[in-house]
Amino acid sequence: MNRAIKSRLSTSEMNYFPDEVIEHIFDFIASHRDRNSISLVNKSWHKIERYSRHQVFIGNCYAISPERLIRRFPCLRSLTLKGKPHFADFNLVPHEWGGFLHPWIDALAKGRVGLEELRLKRMVVSDESLELLSRSFVSFKSLVLVSCDGFTTDGLASVAANCRHLRELDLQENEIDDHRGQWLNCFPDTCTTLVSLNFACLKGETNLAALERLVARSPNLKSLKVNRAVPLEALTRLMSCAPQLVDLGVGCYENEPEPESFAKLMAAIKKCTLLRSLSGFSEVAPVCLTAFYPICENLTSLNLSYAAELQGNHLIEFVQFCKRVQRLWILDSIGDKGLEIVASSCKELQELRVFPSDPHDEEDNNTAVTEVGLVAISAGCPKLHSILYFCKQMTNEALITVARNCPNFIRFRLCILEPNKPDPITSQSLDEGFGAIVQACKGLRRLSVSGLLTDKVFLYIGMYAEQLEMLSIAFAGDTDKGMLYVLNGCKKLRKLEIRDSPFGNAALLADVGKYETMRSLWMSSCEVTLGGCKRLARNAPWLNVEIINENESGRMERNEEDEREKVDRLYLYRTVVGTRRDAPPCVTIL
Amino acid sequence: MEGCPRNRETCPKLLDLIPQERKWYHDEGKNNTDQEKKLELRLAPPGGDEEDGSVMKKKNTKKEAEDKTIFNLSGNHFSPSNKTNYAPHHISQKRTAPGPVVGWPPVRSFRKNLASSSSSKLGNDQINKSGDGEKQAEPKREGMFVKINMDSVPIGRKVDLSAYGSYEQLSFAVDKLFRGLLAAQRDASGGEGEGKPIIGLLDGKGEFTLTYEDNEGDKMLVGDVPWQMFVSSVKRLRVIKSSEISSALRFGCSKEDKMRN
Repeated sequence: MNRAIKSRLSTSEMNYFPDEVIEHIFDFIASHRDRNSISLVNKSWHKIERYSRHQVFIGNCYAISPERLIRRFPCLRSLTLKGKPHFADFNLVPHEWGGFLHPWIDALAKGRVGLEELRLKRMVVSDESLELLSRSFVSFKSLVLVSCDGFTTDGLASVAANCRHLRELDLQENEIDDHRGQWLNCFPDTCTTLVSLNFACLKGETNLAALERLVARSPNLKSLKVNRAVPLEALTRLMSCAPQLVDLGVGCYENEPEPESFAKLMAAIKKCTLLRSLSGFSEVAPVCLTAFYPICENLTSLNLSYAAELQGNHLIEFVQFCKRVQRLWILDSIGDKGLEIVASSCKELQELRVFPSDPHDEEDNNTAVTEVGLVAISAGCPKLHSILYFCKQMTNEALITVARNCPNFIRFRLCILEPNKPDPITSQSLDEGFGAIVQACKGLRRLSVSGLLTDKVFLYIGMYAEQLEMLSIAFAGDTDKGMLYVLNGCKKLRKLEIRDSPFGNAALLADVGKYETMRSLWMSSCEVTLGGCKRLARNAPWLNVEIINENESGRMERNEEDEREKVDRLYLYRTVVGTRRDAPPCVTIL
Repeated sequence: MEGCPRNRETCPKLLDLIPQERKWYHDEGKNNTDQEKKLELRLAPPGGDEEDGSVMKKKNTKKEAEDKTIFNLSGNHFSPSNKTNYAPHHISQKRTAPGPVVGWPPVRSFRKNLASSSSSKLGNDQINKSGDGEKQAEPKREGMFVKINMDSVPIGRKVDLSAYGSYEQLSFAVDKLFRGLLAAQRDASGGEGEGKPIIGLLDGKGEFTLTYEDNEGDKMLVGDVPWQMFVSSVKRLRVIKSSEISSALRFGCSKEDKMRN
């Protein structure tokens, strides 16, 4: 919050204003952190802030209970909830670990909250929850589900049928059981309010007629992302009746289209002059991509990261004309040469993600990217601030150069595919390279490190990464000191996730109070033992210390001798509501 | 901005290496400025650090003393003795990951299956029961799944070539895979049942012909080379209308064309 405003408006003065005025002033303050600060000023402000808070963000659904949330913020309209820890994305968290949505919907419904917007990430959502949601909140407008699972298209059908004012249904990378039903048909004919519809992650057939009718009666539709079962002709018809689209996700077009179909598609695309964002292409014949040439210069966001069929040259041919692109997600089949071309063409680039097309090197291809591509991008794209880069190798020299070229990184995530891989030229660790990054990028908030790394890199991170909020570590470090450097040094650290690194109890226990300032800590395949974790749990009752073991029955048989046993997976987080009661057998909460 | 963590009592001062002025020092009193310089960050390419090795050795003799104190805290049995010799090359002492590692590289499951031609489809490998999804998702190398598409059928299939021993068997399998789909495409009212058998794929006499794309990207007619040679070079299959053979093969320069010119 603007400190100048804070000092000028002394609270005693402000108390002469009616509450509505103060509330109106608070309306301008949107950031959650600022809101939290205001509420601490005095009781009066706390109360006003409570009743005027409409948007709440909960980074860990187990940090608080739905009942307490609703008691504090009864006028809640928009809720964001995150469930499983990040490494659940990579199969490191059991499917049934937790993060269930139902208790929240239940409580919100009972509390008669006027919920309008719900954004979920890594939560377990059931059809019953979706049904309850659709019936409980009359003004419900927006549902965004990211990386969730546990539901089917039946749940979607309830939402479609019952949410009369639905504007947004955005399903990103969820695991949805597709019953191949008629959920699209469930949107009533009176539903004309859709602004955003994304069902790209659905795997089954789509009722094309229903979809076309829905799009035709949605004049406000700006974002449409279809799934793979929408063929070319259908896409053409959809685009023809929605030329106002800003954001388009296309289906799957393996077969090369008939010339006539292709011509119609191009004509429809040409009319979409507002189109700025393109994605999908899960399987696409190269020629289909060329249909988008007419609008590629307008694109600010392009996601070709599912297009495994496209060779590097096809990608390059297209991307080089996307001169305004700010966000680019692509596969490493583009190659270093391709990235050099991107660097010379895409001067507006802000965020780049390069995913591995062959994560396990099965095809033995040599087109994966290396440090060359990264250096080129850093040199050519002055606005770059976020990168996720999967590569075969990296050198210290390259990282030092990148740091010098791009001191503005906010997010820097580097994943060298082979664990522990050193600098191939010098055979040294990559400590210096990453050290240069953290030293130069003073605003760095998120960092993922990889390759051969010793404790030294963590010393650098602790010393220089003052704004770091999230750090991901894998196969790195030598001793507990590594982890301690980070815990001691990074004052703003909120999330720390570590796997396969030799950090143990000494690091874990050195500063228990630190975890109260953080959202969570994940450690898997490290050196922490059950005894260490138990000790931590005893000294920090405000934490939930969860042990996840493969072997369910292990929990019952555990006795004193096993305290030296290494813990497979540890996940701890601060909470105000104590132990959760919905943990499965494979999870022990100490 | 405190350089020290919350619980001063439990925090070993030895590790209080990040103090306020951002100069790091050892609280033990052994203020080794040489070491300071070596660990000072420079924006220069590596390679000038020949003295690194000796510095590390110096550090290690101190390390043992420190380590004993640290580990007295928790009675841990972790012994650093096997890690005293730091050398940049000691990969063997690290946690190397032999073979496929669970959850590595850190990509979502559906991305892992994009390029691999022998993946299982439709997401059943994403659902892991207890963190061993990675093992389930690894395709068996014995199966040889390739994609197969058919003109006028929007959805493709996959065939496991290792299940067949001859072109005839493959042809029969193609008929089984696509007969129903083709009938459904052609007769939207769906009355007729199974539809006509798809025959003559290999001899050019049927309505459709089987072609493939080899590992060099060329489009070929199926049936010319010995079966095993075919299996080792095929990347994907396509069933095209026989009437369009010449135009279909035009899009990729076929070996026949190359040889003719």
